[in-house]
Amino acid sequence: MTEPTFDTIFDDLVDANAELVSFLASLDALLPEASMLLVSEAGVLIEGASPLAVSLPVRDKLVREARAADGFVIGKADSGARCHAIHLAKLPAVLIISCPAAQGDDRKSEAAITSLLRNTLELALYRQEREMLVADHEQSVRQINILQQQHGKLIEDNYRQYRLNQEREKEYARKLESEITKQTAELREANARLEEISRLKSDFLANMSHELRTPMNAIIGFSELLAETALAEEQRDYAKTISKSATSLLTLINDILDLAKIEAGKLELERLPFDLAEVLDNVVAMFTIPAKEKGVVVSCTIDSRIPKRIMGDGNRLRQVLVNLAGNAMKFTEKGTVDVRVSYECEAAGRIVGRFSVHDSGIGIPADRVEAIFEKFTQADGSTTRKYGGTGLGLAICLQLVELMGGHLAVESELGKGSTFYFEIPLEEAPAEIISLQEHKEACREKAAAGGRILLVEDNAVNQRLASILITREGYEVDVASDGAEALEHLQHQTFDLVLMDVQMPNMDGMEATRRIRKIEADPALRQNYVGLRALNQPLAIIGLTAHARQEDERACYEAGMNGFLTKPIVKAKLTTILGEMMPRTCPENHDPS
Amino acid sequence: MPSAKDIVRKFTELKTLPHVAIKVTRLVNDDRSTMQDFEEIIKLDPVLVTRLLRLVNSPYFGLSQKVESISKAVVFAGMRQLRNLVAVEALRGMFKGNNDEFSAQKLWLHSATVAILSGMIAKRIFGKDGEDVFLAGIIHDIGLIVENQVAGEQLREACKAFRDGNGPLVECERNAIGADHAEVGYLLAKDWGLPQEVLSSIKAHHLGKQVKSVSSTGSILQLAEFMAGKMQYWPIAGPLEPLPPELTEHVKEKMADYKIIIRDLPGEMAKAKELYESDE
Repeated sequence: MTEPTFDTIFDDLVDANAELVSFLASLDALLPEASMLLVSEAGVLIEGASPLAVSLPVRDKLVREARAADGFVIGKADSGARCHAIHLAKLPAVLIISCPAAQGDDRKSEAAITSLLRNTLELALYRQEREMLVADHEQSVRQINILQQQHGKLIEDNYRQYRLNQEREKEYARKLESEITKQTAELREANARLEEISRLKSDFLANMSHELRTPMNAIIGFSELLAETALAEEQRDYAKTISKSATSLLTLINDILDLAKIEAGKLELERLPFDLAEVLDNVVAMFTIPAKEKGVVVSCTIDSRIPKRIMGDGNRLRQVLVNLAGNAMKFTEKGTVDVRVSYECEAAGRIVGRFSVHDSGIGIPADRVEAIFEKFTQADGSTTRKYGGTGLGLAICLQLVELMGGHLAVESELGKGSTFYFEIPLEEAPAEIISLQEHKEACREKAAAGGRILLVEDNAVNQRLASILITREGYEVDVASDGAEALEHLQHQTFDLVLMDVQMPNMDGMEATRRIRKIEADPALRQNYVGLRALNQPLAIIGLTAHARQEDERACYEAGMNGFLTKPIVKAKLTTILGEMMPRTCPENHDPS
Repeated sequence: MPSAKDIVRKFTELKTLPHVAIKVTRLVNDDRSTMQDFEEIIKLDPVLVTRLLRLVNSPYFGLSQKVESISKAVVFAGMRQLRNLVAVEALRGMFKGNNDEFSAQKLWLHSATVAILSGMIAKRIFGKDGEDVFLAGIIHDIGLIVENQVAGEQLREACKAFRDGNGPLVECERNAIGADHAEVGYLLAKDWGLPQEVLSSIKAHHLGKQVKSVSSTGSILQLAEFMAGKMQYWPIAGPLEPLPPELTEHVKEKMADYKIIIRDLPGEMAKAKELYESDE
């Protein structure tokens, strides 16, 4: 395909001679006085603004000569004036022109005229080319403008993009923020839920403790009572076995509950004065009989620099030592178990005491030392069967010692024995605080049996058991099955002491105690209660509950009770507390009249 | 006889426009789209990435540094040039196949010539951005491709009738097929989501009368179509439709300009070939 041109494309609208006409017009403008005409290749005649009259033969001759010549040929117009003819290859066409200025004859002026004409023609031709160049230039300018616009747009676009990105970033930040808020709220809610669950667990624990202790109460109590009846040797052995098993089950239950409490962070240590020597004696006393049976010597020493009376939780300290001594006993067949409190150092006004329980038992392999402090683990899996026990004891001890500010550790040599020890700060109790227990002991010494006791208890089994125990202690007993009934009893009878179960239907022990205290405080009301009217001091009320938690004890005192006894009722404890609390047995409380 | 809609529906059941083409077009129409959005789409198509980088690094852009990242290339090319690039890529695959009456490959050459001429006229004579007219040029005869695919036999009949001088091509098409390629092309481009100006220019490119002002996309397309037809870049033999008188008048006024455009066309086509040429 040949390269297309404007003329082939726009052939319809192109006037073939348009270019010639336009050239002639340009030349006319340059030489207004000259007459001229153009003859195209096709022989078409185009006349200028002032037409030149040349007869056809002359014109044809001139055209022929001009096409053949290289430059101007000279001829004569009809008017006789000189005229020049030249072939313009660029157009292409032959121009015949007659200028009034070019009529001279001499050679010199002829040369000047032809050169002038030549230049004028060039100029006219270039005018046409110039038109193209101008258009070309204009197109270039337009394209440059577009590029500039595009450049501007690019910058604009970039700015817009920048703004968009910024907006997106902001939106993202907002989303992030709201997401964080949402998640925080969710976490808070989850936390609240966990707290609620924890509270429910704690409640469950309390209830379990109650539910477990109530039947245990009956089992231990009645098996003990059974053993005391007239039985055949075999039967008595069975009864004792039941009693012993029940007691160890109770210990296990208490251990589990203790551990749960510790783990829930619910266990709080008391801060009360206690006699350290007494605690140790107590511990040793527990193992005297089994030690004798085994042939193990149990000893106990306290450094003289250790204060006698200590502020702290004596019961928990005893629990730890009983556990450690119990372990020592369990794993020692022959030899010694030594419980020792030594003076370690004094720091910041506090004495640090080192408690150790040493035995000459089987010892612990080095690789099992860590494991024995884990829950439900003993040094050797097989020892569980041989020695019994749950493996909870040491886990509890570890936690209790930590609560006391120490760390329980062990040194042991296989076959030679073990030493469990811990160091805790011991704060001396101020002299002026006279221990309640001491006071109670003072009372107990003067205790003498006898008196009327009102037992308020809803559970029929427990009613019977407690009644038997109380009667055996030498007291009279009357039974009310809830708080309301107890109040009724008090309206008509007098009692020296009330044993009040805490958890009861209708009116519980707390409510009943509060009411009794209210009646006592109101002289008018008091007159209606025979049991309260006659008393000069508040009626002694001892709370009786299966809830062994410290907060339960506190609640009892807050309700107005004077004492607190946990179920299952342990005979020894009952004896002690009744001895302490019976009003007429204590001189201070004695009615002066 | 099927309507233009039926034909387009049948066609889209057979062939779908590349996902990329539709997505990019949608982004161009969305004021809130960013270069990153373009990049996300482009980078999935390695052929497009190659073309884009080649385009941006061509002398046309005259950048002093070589652009090697897609995001930068997207920024320099601009959204609409990018859309055209994607459109060319999408359409090229459709313009394939030859037979006596109708050659899709020749039609592709015609479309490319019209597109380049349209772009040149828009930029050089009217001083306006040539991207939309370029797109109109490249896509204006897509209707013929659709008809060839859906009703090839009838299209060949129409071509024959046209060659035999039985009236304008669109009329022969309507007689043989039931619709003409301007209408069919318009519907397809509408589905694609191309700008309104482009759509109406496709619809009107055989109307034989000037639609709007001389500088409108439709007028430029008609001019370019006429010129390309005269240059024999036209797949269907037969009489050419004359230019509407307003456009003839316009060319007469701007003769020097059109001479330059015709003079420069081979160079521009060589450039375009280099930019858009298939690697196959």
